[in-house]
Amino acid sequence: MIALLRFLLMGFVVLTVVYVSVSLYSRAMRRQKLRRHWDEKIGTGDRDAFVRKGLALYDRSLRRRLILGVYIIPMIVVGTIVYIVNYT
Amino acid sequence: MVYVKWTFLAVIAALVFSFLHYTLPQHDIVRITNTEVRRIDFGDNSIFWSGSAPGTAGGVANRDVHFIETFRPNDKPMVYRNEDTGWGWPPYFKVNTSNLQAMARDLISTKENPQWVVVTHYGWRNEYLSIYPNAVAVRPAEGPDEFIIPWFNIAVLFSLAVFAAWVWTLFARFKENRIEPLIDDPDSRAGAVLRRLFGGGGR
Repeated sequence: MIALLRFLLMGFVVLTVVYVSVSLYSRAMRRQKLRRHWDEKIGTGDRDAFVRKGLALYDRSLRRRLILGVYIIPMIVVGTIVYIVNYT
Repeated sequence: MVYVKWTFLAVIAALVFSFLHYTLPQHDIVRITNTEVRRIDFGDNSIFWSGSAPGTAGGVANRDVHFIETFRPNDKPMVYRNEDTGWGWPPYFKVNTSNLQAMARDLISTKENPQWVVVTHYGWRNEYLSIYPNAVAVRPAEGPDEFIIPWFNIAVLFSLAVFAAWVWTLFARFKENRIEPLIDDPDSRAGAVLRRLFGGGGR
């Protein structure tokens, strides 16, 4: 039981580090893209408001939720290995 | 300096190769002659044995271990241990040791009337360290020369190669954009250190 808890805890910590890093990276990328878009295509009005609105849209987007796959995919992989090794 | 570099790289490559060779699953075709349980006192070779089975006491000095004794088609012996990996390394998450032992026992055959068996295992047999590969699965084979394509290993090694290529390009880009300008900058203190380490500004 302790071994399983330790495995889950370590997995959770490692995946959380990955999740936070990917989230920050992805949001920074989106911010950069929005700024570039404003500079190249729009060029008038409030640049900061445009970026803020774009990031608010990003926060609700499917693309952002897909980062949760960082947790889900390893769980599916571990579950599949457990099934194949022990039950087939 | 060139010898140091290549020796270093060769040692790294050998370590990576042996790590993968130990950890990835392999298939042997054997006939099983016996299964048994031995008490093992772990010593210098303890790193090559699994931890305690899930649910049992950990950190013990000795423990009973299941073994599967087999012969290969060339009549050379091969002995496997049969241990739970549980939730530790390598990540096989194997918890069905006792069931596997029962299945192996069910496949026992004689030399005159052999039942060939595919044993999936990881690990090494080494007589000088008294270490044994850990059997992960057994199934009846089609015959002594059944050909098995290691799809899982192909997939894992291919993914690793893609990952390594990705890290390599990241590093190359980092070097191009951040490190080489430093080396070329005569006023940079970090550049001076790098120049001294890697010999001059010329590349």
